[in-house]
Amino acid sequence: MTKNKKFRVSIIILAAFALILILGYNYVYQDHRNIETEQAAFSLSADEISDEFSKNPEESEKKYLNKTVEVYGHITELNDIDLTLNDNVYCGFNTSLNISHSIDSEIKIKGRCIGYDDLLEQVKLDQCTIVN
Amino acid sequence: MKKTFFLIALFIGLGLSAQSKYLTKKGTVAFEASVPSFEEVKASHNSVTTIMNSGNGEFASLVLVKGFRFKNALMEEHFNENYAESDTYPKATFKGKILDFSLDKLNAEKQSFLINGQLTFHGKTKQLDNINVDITLNEEGIIVSGSFLANASDFDIKIPKVVKNKIANDIEVTFDFSLKKK
Repeated sequence: MTKNKKFRVSIIILAAFALILILGYNYVYQDHRNIETEQAAFSLSADEISDEFSKNPEESEKKYLNKTVEVYGHITELNDIDLTLNDNVYCGFNTSLNISHSIDSEIKIKGRCIGYDDLLEQVKLDQCTIVN
Repeated sequence: MKKTFFLIALFIGLGLSAQSKYLTKKGTVAFEASVPSFEEVKASHNSVTTIMNSGNGEFASLVLVKGFRFKNALMEEHFNENYAESDTYPKATFKGKILDFSLDKLNAEKQSFLINGQLTFHGKTKQLDNINVDITLNEEGIIVSGSFLANASDFDIKIPKVVKNKIANDIEVTFDFSLKKK
């Protein structure tokens, strides 16, 4: 093997090694899902989704759990980092809500469905954002 | 119909005794199973529902397991898929009773109480006894907080050999609930 060839081979090995390192790092430290930019898998009213969960919790869990959903309804409870739609869908936000909406106004929320709270009979969403 | 009946039952219940319900929808539950010098294994959940009956100290919490957030996204994915199996077991619950509880004992200072109850996680239920909780009373309601150790193997959670030295089997669970009168 010529000196030149040896050099080229070691460059290739080094590059491959660096590539594996970068890919591995990106896999281990991948970003969280961004619910805000994800396309919603379902879009329905607060009453519809909570009805489905109360009638058929297991089926609904399979259908909605961990999915991005858009839910609309009127605000029945409004707090600093959460709000409740139609008394039956609880929406948790990551940051302080800074909105002009008030109790009873119509709103559409996008968030990730984490399940059904049977103590309160409410569907829970987290990482919510306001669609409009 | 169901709702009317429920309301009537509720009013009768309220009329018969002076006990009332305290509730939160955004309680915090966090756990940590870190091993020193390895990446932290830690998650927190800030929309835990808890209801407490101030008449007799009965206490119920519900955690939707998918709501646990980790700093590391891959760790969160592995937690949900391989350890907690949150598609199959989406809920974790605690049902118990605060011992010798009485509203009259509470004030703005932290008071220590003990709580007994059953913790259900990953489809397994374990009895927990004499967990220390601190309870304070203020204008807004009752604050209940504390911590306990849970064992991964008690809940049938298998930690693979490859990561065994990076995840502690004794998991420290901390909780903090600001309950408001309902």
